[in-house]
Amino acid sequence: MRTRAILGSILASASVLIVGYQAGVSVTTSDGKSLSLPVGSTTNGTTGTTTPSSAPSSGTTTEAPVVSGPSNGTYTGSSIRTRFGNVQVSVTITSGSITEVTALQLTDADGRSVQISNRAAPILRSEVLASQSAQVSNVSGATYTTQAYLTSVQSALDLAGA
Amino acid sequence: MRHIIQTMGTVASLEVPSEWADAVATIDRIFDATNRRFSLYRSDSELSMIADGRLSLSAASEVLLASYSRALDWRNATGDLFSPHRPDGVIDLNGIVKAEAIEQAGAQLMAAGCPVWSINVGGDILVSPTGGASGVTTATTAATTTSAVLHAGIADPHKPTELLCSLELRHPRRAIATSGSAQRGDHIWRGGSTESTQFVQVSVVTNDIVTADVLATAIVAGGQDALDDVADRWDVDVIAVDRTGALKATPGLLRSLAANGLTD
Repeated sequence: MRTRAILGSILASASVLIVGYQAGVSVTTSDGKSLSLPVGSTTNGTTGTTTPSSAPSSGTTTEAPVVSGPSNGTYTGSSIRTRFGNVQVSVTITSGSITEVTALQLTDADGRSVQISNRAAPILRSEVLASQSAQVSNVSGATYTTQAYLTSVQSALDLAGA
Repeated sequence: MRHIIQTMGTVASLEVPSEWADAVATIDRIFDATNRRFSLYRSDSELSMIADGRLSLSAASEVLLASYSRALDWRNATGDLFSPHRPDGVIDLNGIVKAEAIEQAGAQLMAAGCPVWSINVGGDILVSPTGGASGVTTATTAATTTSAVLHAGIADPHKPTELLCSLELRHPRRAIATSGSAQRGDHIWRGGSTESTQFVQVSVVTNDIVTADVLATAIVAGGQDALDDVADRWDVDVIAVDRTGALKATPGLLRSLAANGLTD
């Protein structure tokens, strides 16, 4: 389960970069650099001859050079917090394609990384029934008003000085 | 020794060793100060004055701004499921200040050196790191305080006078909060939706009462997706009751269930 969770996080992190890349938006890396990725570029880096769809209509300003895709290089994604610790990946782009995804941070150091899934699963009332008969001294419930308190189990416990 | 205080629109039950009874007045003052500053039911509270424009937020006290800032951090962390803003735009810190008052009261007891205690305000419970002072355990003498455990019941939302189950609260799982529509759901906005919530009651157990309270609220507001998200991202135990009475629980919660008929 842990592997799946981590893989999920990696894919999530990577997909953020990929989505940003395809949509032509800015992606801010963890070291504060902003990558401006052009609209209209394609993932295989063969663009460059078509007019960018979002080109401004004014013709008097100096045209920015047409970029044919994100620069080659390695980009570090944000560190994503998970219950297992922080997860962070870097993505290497060569000729407009993602050629490598590297996990920079996967585990935490406190030993909890071997923990199995913490997800809540359906349980039967009979599974918790036995605990009902334990003597309790306090009751947790959705906030009772002063009036509701009088009919609550807690008020009986308080009366009894439990 | 049990002390009952009516405060903040609800009732607090405090358990401290009998020789620490003097501390109860100090805690009462903490609760009272919270109420006077944050209650929207008092027209003279600082938050009421901000709500109706008598006081600018920029002129608010540092204490209020700190709570607001903390609530905003939680709003961001929960993707708006927990929010300090009412649909009409009024800042309502009801969802966090009660838990903060419990936190302050606990810190006060620890600073004073009280060895064992429990604080229950309106169903949200925090116990001392050494375990709760409890009539159930034999935690009234110093020799046994380190092994003290508080047995906390969780109310059954469909049968308010009965318990759903009971848990052992012990360090570091020493805080439990329950949210839901069972008693009072008015601080859960769910983006203005009037649709019924999937869960009628959610209890969260963790080491920190504010975290427990906020996340319980977020899960009631966000349903199954929020439950999965919270269980993935925070180190918490959760038990949730849906509209049909069916239960969902995390593995950790099942492990903390009180043993049958345990009387110590």
